[in-house]
Amino acid sequence: MTDWIKQKKERARRLKEVVSLVSGKEVQPADVTALLERVICSGDRVCLEGDNQKQADFLAECLTQVDPSQVHDLHIVQSGLVLSEHLDLFRLGIARKLDFSYSGPQSAAIARALDQGKIELGAIHTYIELFARYFVDLTPNVALIAAVSADRKGNLYTGPNTEDTPTIVEATAYKNGIVIAQVNKIVDEVPRIDIPGDQIDFIVQAPKPFYVEPLFTRDPAAVTETQILMAMIALKGIYAEYRPRRLNHGIGFATAAIELLLPTYGEQLGLRGEVATHWALNPHPTLIPAIESGWVQQIHCFGSEVGMDRYMSARPDVYFIGHDGTLRSNRLLCQNAGLYACDMFIGSTLQIDLAGNSSTVTPDRIAGFGGAPNMGADAHGRRHVSEAWLKAGHEAAGSEGPLVRGRKLVVQMVETFGEGMKPAFVEELDSIALARKLGMPLAPVMIFGDDVTHIVTEEGIANLLLCRNADDVEQAIRGVAGYTPVGLARDRAKVEALRARGVIRRPEDLGIDLLQADRNLLAARSIRDLVTWSDGLYAPPSKFRNW
Amino acid sequence: MIPENVMNEPSWYELSARARINGLLDAGSFNEILGPQDRVMSPHLAFFDLPPAFDDGIIIGRGMIDGRPVAVAAQEGQFMGGTFAEVSGAKLVGLLRAVAKSAGTPQAVSSVFLLLDTGGVRLQEANAGEMAVSETIRAILDVRHKGVPVIALIGGRAGAFGGGGLVTACCSHIVISEQGRISVSGPEVIETNKGVGEFDSKDRALVWRVTGGRSRVLLGGADSYVKGDISSFRKAAAHARNSVPTLSLETLEHEQERLEQRLSAFGDCRDTPEIWTRIGLPNPAGIADLTEDEFIHLLAKEEVRHDAR
Repeated sequence: MTDWIKQKKERARRLKEVVSLVSGKEVQPADVTALLERVICSGDRVCLEGDNQKQADFLAECLTQVDPSQVHDLHIVQSGLVLSEHLDLFRLGIARKLDFSYSGPQSAAIARALDQGKIELGAIHTYIELFARYFVDLTPNVALIAAVSADRKGNLYTGPNTEDTPTIVEATAYKNGIVIAQVNKIVDEVPRIDIPGDQIDFIVQAPKPFYVEPLFTRDPAAVTETQILMAMIALKGIYAEYRPRRLNHGIGFATAAIELLLPTYGEQLGLRGEVATHWALNPHPTLIPAIESGWVQQIHCFGSEVGMDRYMSARPDVYFIGHDGTLRSNRLLCQNAGLYACDMFIGSTLQIDLAGNSSTVTPDRIAGFGGAPNMGADAHGRRHVSEAWLKAGHEAAGSEGPLVRGRKLVVQMVETFGEGMKPAFVEELDSIALARKLGMPLAPVMIFGDDVTHIVTEEGIANLLLCRNADDVEQAIRGVAGYTPVGLARDRAKVEALRARGVIRRPEDLGIDLLQADRNLLAARSIRDLVTWSDGLYAPPSKFRNW
Repeated sequence: MIPENVMNEPSWYELSARARINGLLDAGSFNEILGPQDRVMSPHLAFFDLPPAFDDGIIIGRGMIDGRPVAVAAQEGQFMGGTFAEVSGAKLVGLLRAVAKSAGTPQAVSSVFLLLDTGGVRLQEANAGEMAVSETIRAILDVRHKGVPVIALIGGRAGAFGGGGLVTACCSHIVISEQGRISVSGPEVIETNKGVGEFDSKDRALVWRVTGGRSRVLLGGADSYVKGDISSFRKAAAHARNSVPTLSLETLEHEQERLEQRLSAFGDCRDTPEIWTRIGLPNPAGIADLTEDEFIHLLAKEEVRHDAR
């Protein structure tokens, strides 16, 4: 007879092992390491909740303290590998295999650990790609998660930074896994139930509130005139041309500049209400002036942002707010929204090659993908139409008709020379050298060239939709690559021909006055200005203050 | 709705030294001395493979405010941190000495404005820079002794640190904005020498709570507080020019007495909100979060005045 309830029996066995360590669902902080040693078995798939923002940092610390002779060869499946503890698991021999999405601050350490053979890498995913695999072949046996508060039944309030939690818990709890939550506080009644208690096995009140990284705050004081010019080019050459109402912005300074120009330059162009009304977007503080000036109707968020909670609670017509009055974010749903419901993604990158492929990988850093590849990809399953989507599709096809589908606008904004005067345009991406070194069959590419529709630099726009062959694409890219070696190697006659066809458009072709690209054009020039715009509701973290 | 003060007024903090002078003085009245076209540059920076500036990061000259003749010097905080160095120091000292010499003659000016924006002495020419600071202090005191007020305007990105903090304290009147900072040892210097437990230079709220404009004016380390836009600075400059006491032994004794009282009253405080609690200010922890209008209202209501200079 086949035993069909092996997983259920195993779960029951593990739960029985720890009866002496828990009272109801509650575990004392000092007992957590012992609990982990009993509920986690060698070879388990473990999700230690960590993404680009919130971290189950106390549980991470406890997991590094388990005895590696008892618990080893774990397979870590989580979206963000961000804390030094995450790397310690591999260094100490507790974990061996890794599937993840984003590494941010640990990008150099991961590259070193891979090189030294400490990590057996499954794959680097995008967020929804990894979440999808939670339900197919990477389902966690144990999930260690973070929440703001819990009641004694295990009902969780995950609050503004809900992010990945519902997805992780859904995959684990409904497949006989074990879910342990660290919470900032155990309370009699949670403000709202984000995760029902019957999906949670254990709760522990952590000694410190879980860590949240302010990731989306861009100080207007650091926006340069070049970025302002690029933002003007994007607004006049792309927003005004295609009228994308639904969109996502990346997190760089180039898009922050666009957000800060909406109430000024965007207003001059008469675009209010015509573009950028509905967003899949993290709570960017730089969008506050546009929201306050009536540009924005609705925003759904992947996560929250430090300091923005009170502002968002006071703008429930714009943000998704629970009946308790605080933001609810959800990374899976917002990524899905960005993929299927947005007409445009616009963001920055580090390197672009002659086919328009872009990457943020450098030879000694593996930052992962996060969500950009989903935002920056045409969704071939999309069937509903919008003006922007159809116009892009018609330009790409060179024709119109009942069988010509649309395209998502995928716009890359780069200064021709990036940080440290490194050229943004290259003959070959650094990620190819990295793939060779690590024996990866596919080089890590953030956005493939065939998904990119426009490249914006301070020299102008290259519209790849209008390119008809690889040579067009190459010369269009060289034609906006400025004084980089790639730009200097342009075929001048071909570039002028592309300009005549409207494939390349310079600021002067768009009627943009270069002298107008001035910091006084920004709706806010400092974090303090953003606080003023928000009517004092935005409370920036200390490291961004200059008062 | 778009806040007017956010959208319309160029901010002092943002502007270059040259743009600050243009906004401060009557239009077209500025006559620069040793301008960039004269190319009097640092002879030292080339040794360090550093690019010099045609004006060595300081602009000096004469002009008018509301039709009255004034002398003005502005440090460019974005060039080498607005530092005191051999050439920039000599330009500043020369201007001040000329003002002292012209006092009582038809070439006299009614006041001197120092638009300081500096991290202190330029380390690449530190000896010359230290000399420049002490010569500047001597020259300021000479000018004040002749009855000409020397007014510091503090609101630039580099603040007024190191020798710049000392020079500021020697002026007859100090005008500051919220972003302005005055101190001798800068936050990074304190952290490097005494450890992050003593002073966390990354905690910008702490940096401004200790060195920033609001704390300085509440403690009497600055005399006038203005909003950060250029016209507010201009208004304060026009108002401040003749409202200050002449330098005398009596003035200095008053200042000494004030500082002694301050030290005995607050010397053991670890952070400014403790001081505000002792003074009895409402909501001591929330001073930094008041709007500009609320803070200016508080200053007026509490009659926080320590104008001993």
